[in-house]
Amino acid sequence: MAAAALDKRSGGVCVFLLSFVLILCQTLVHGAEPYKRQLSVQLYPNYNSTPPGGDLLHVRAVGDNDTLHFLFCSQGAPTLLIVHTNTSSSTMKVWPQVNWPEFWARNTSGSLTVEPQSSVLYSSAIVLSRVRNASSRPLLEYDDVNDTAEPTSGFFPPYELKDFHWLPLSLRSPTALLCGADPAFGNGSLCLELSVFDSEGRVQTLPRLLHSANSSQLDVWLDGILPRSSNSRFLLELQSVGGAYPLSRVDIRQSIDDEFTPSIFKVSQWVSSVNGSSDVLGFVQWKPVAYRHTQPVLEDATPCRHSDPQAQSGEAAAASSGLIRAFYSNPEVMGLNMSFGLAGEPFYNSSRFLSWTVLVGVGSPPVDSFSPMVITIMAVGLGTPMVLLLLGGVCVCLHKKRAATAATYEPIN
Amino acid sequence: MADYEERRSLLGEEDEGSFAGRQPPRGAGKQMPAICDPSHLLHRVVVLVFMCFLGFGSYFCYDNPAALQTQVLQDLNLNTAKFMQLYAWYSWPNVVLCFFGGFLLDRVFGIRLGTIIFSLFVCVGQVIFATGALLNRFWLMEVGRFVFGIGGESLAVAQNTYAVNWFKGKELNLVFGLQLSMARLGSTVNMNIMGWVYSQVALMVGSTGYTALGGSLMIAGVTCLFSLICALVLGFLDKRAERILNKEQGNTGEVIKLTDVKDFPFTLWLIFIICVGYYVAIFPFIGLGQVFFIEKFNFSPAEARAVNSIVYIISAPASPILGFMVDKTGRNVVWVIVAVVATLAAHMMLAFTFWNPWIAMSLLGVSYSLLACALWPMVAFVVPEHQLGTAYGFMQSIQNLGLALIAIAAGSILDNRGYLVLEVFFCACICIALMAVVMLYFVDYLKGGDLNRSAAARAKLQKESTSDAEIKRRPSKPTEGELARLAPMSAFGLRNRYLSRLGAQLPDHCSTHLSSLAYRSVLK
Repeated sequence: MAAAALDKRSGGVCVFLLSFVLILCQTLVHGAEPYKRQLSVQLYPNYNSTPPGGDLLHVRAVGDNDTLHFLFCSQGAPTLLIVHTNTSSSTMKVWPQVNWPEFWARNTSGSLTVEPQSSVLYSSAIVLSRVRNASSRPLLEYDDVNDTAEPTSGFFPPYELKDFHWLPLSLRSPTALLCGADPAFGNGSLCLELSVFDSEGRVQTLPRLLHSANSSQLDVWLDGILPRSSNSRFLLELQSVGGAYPLSRVDIRQSIDDEFTPSIFKVSQWVSSVNGSSDVLGFVQWKPVAYRHTQPVLEDATPCRHSDPQAQSGEAAAASSGLIRAFYSNPEVMGLNMSFGLAGEPFYNSSRFLSWTVLVGVGSPPVDSFSPMVITIMAVGLGTPMVLLLLGGVCVCLHKKRAATAATYEPIN
Repeated sequence: MADYEERRSLLGEEDEGSFAGRQPPRGAGKQMPAICDPSHLLHRVVVLVFMCFLGFGSYFCYDNPAALQTQVLQDLNLNTAKFMQLYAWYSWPNVVLCFFGGFLLDRVFGIRLGTIIFSLFVCVGQVIFATGALLNRFWLMEVGRFVFGIGGESLAVAQNTYAVNWFKGKELNLVFGLQLSMARLGSTVNMNIMGWVYSQVALMVGSTGYTALGGSLMIAGVTCLFSLICALVLGFLDKRAERILNKEQGNTGEVIKLTDVKDFPFTLWLIFIICVGYYVAIFPFIGLGQVFFIEKFNFSPAEARAVNSIVYIISAPASPILGFMVDKTGRNVVWVIVAVVATLAAHMMLAFTFWNPWIAMSLLGVSYSLLACALWPMVAFVVPEHQLGTAYGFMQSIQNLGLALIAIAAGSILDNRGYLVLEVFFCACICIALMAVVMLYFVDYLKGGDLNRSAAARAKLQKESTSDAEIKRRPSKPTEGELARLAPMSAFGLRNRYLSRLGAQLPDHCSTHLSSLAYRSVLK
């Protein structure tokens, strides 16, 4: 009776509340028109000519009042260069255009420029310089407190990515795939996949990093490499190159939100800032996780760690990468090592596959927020008992009142 | 008193007999030594020790997967959804067995044989489970957990029946409390020691991997063997006591009539919803807790296991204290609301903050104990005593069903959506329980407030109905919980009372008798 009525009413309220919250969330999330950029892709040299030393990919992302140039090059060590300009009409020029040989020769700076030069707001490049293969200590040493990101012993000579044989870039809209190998890799290869985005979103494979229109995503994977020991782990040496402000410090941000990258509660971001101020000019962002299979799921996750960034020789970086040589006359270089797998984790041998994803972009790194689903569930979950409480209170009051009115008429005798 | 006298005299006779028939240990003296005299306290203490350890093995092994979560996941290369199947398979047989455990004990096997059989199930189940790990056959492990589940829950019923049989009218309350603490001890020791056992076995075997896992599970199985020995000894002692004291074999006294279900009042269904909504947010969470604390709060595995076991550690001392408090104050519904809200707060802390999880888990431990103390006795207020067995059996059955389903769901939510969504999901379950309890409050209020009466009001009502009963000799409406409680107590009713004292936990499995109460999950 009363209970049933209460029930029915609360059911209606539930539905109402649910739809209300859903609409609210939708407006919150999708209310603002997402920022969009126009992408145009160009591959140098032309598709039909064989590259003398490597490819150069240019993606121009034109926004309302700025342009991002993404340059991805396999001349020497693979390099991703981002140039941010303040006009939507700036052009990148391989200059002088006729002098490709100079660019391929990799001994002159200034063979690649952006016109007009004054429009450049910021530029930064990421070079993958080396892969190291380390034989790890025996698996059973669990309580090794000093198990640092960088194993101190058992290093084999590094694989220099600048000496790799790189296959031609293959464009698979909207991504570009670059694979290369060292003769010692056997049938294996190291691949890089660059994705540039026109708007905010997420790639649907783990780690599902949130990207903005100001960032590009670089997936790196080591597939089927013949390890030099059965207890092999890999390290990747990354260099960031910048003009005035190279990426200087790595911030680790804790996040309670692991909805898109299950069980990972940290985001590392390697940022450049002006004299330590909080304004971030450019970033490299990653989650400290790598995956051991091509179609990654949660249990394929293996943790990774980075070392502190350290200043490195600019000349060496320019020598190893054609793009750095061509764009920067005076490169400032910081380097860090990413190591994959900790003590106790399976070795590379177990799956012969390792993939890792980074986001490279300008401006502030994107920040995850709760998904509408989480907000909706919590709102409905917490809201409904409150509504029930209110409704119940009203019911009880009415009931009491009625009882009281009835009582005033009743006591005749 | 009369009962006691009678026993004394029986004992006297039997004593003679035993002197003639069997050899008293020393062969001399008319009186048996106290420790061998079944009517003597000292002997009962010995029996109590065996009784407590009877359940130790199954409690120890129940949470083996949680204690070795990282190792199980890695060595067998499982995803979390598959891992949680280990818990689901434990629950499946109990969806049905809650109704039949008591029947099997009473009518088919008898308490002694029944206890031994259920202990055997537990033992064999654990051995199959460990063998599955040794051979890296996951399906075999699931079979093992299923067999283990058949024995585990019913063993708890048997344990309670033994307790009632030996301690009725004496130290029963204390004995239930001790059994409960022993159960918690088993869970806690398991949580904190299995990691170490595993690493030792791995050192011995030479590497981690499923061999080491199987080895450590086999070692855990020793506790089950130990419990089986306790069952055998108890059977022997009980038989001996029966002969000497001429007493009857213990009986669970539970009566299950499924047709009673249609007569269950609306409030009882609300209580069921609370029970399912609440417990599914506790046990699957503890099953998944270890890795959560490692991943989110950067705990070491040992620390993660410790914080995961704090719920059990707290509930051991808190259950009797809170049970006493609820008994003294009444107002069960308000206490349930408090417990549910506190649990919701704890889960939200774990979901949305990086606060030290010791805070949230301690809060969870206290509220879990409080809920048990306040929720389970409410059943006795809303159904007549003759339906109590069915009500508790039903409650445990759907609780097991809920646990099995939610365990699987929780595993796949974690795999696909991560811990935040998992925690939000648990919060949603608690919110459902909260809605049900708020509704229960109002429904009960409109109906006249049986459930939420204060202890003082209950006492007053009881007094009135006592004088009533003196006139009528028999309380009128059995549906009124208060009145029903005045009727002379059966063993079942007695246990029920103890349950309500100790809190839900007891009912769950201790009271077991409460028949179905034997539910181990509550005790876990």
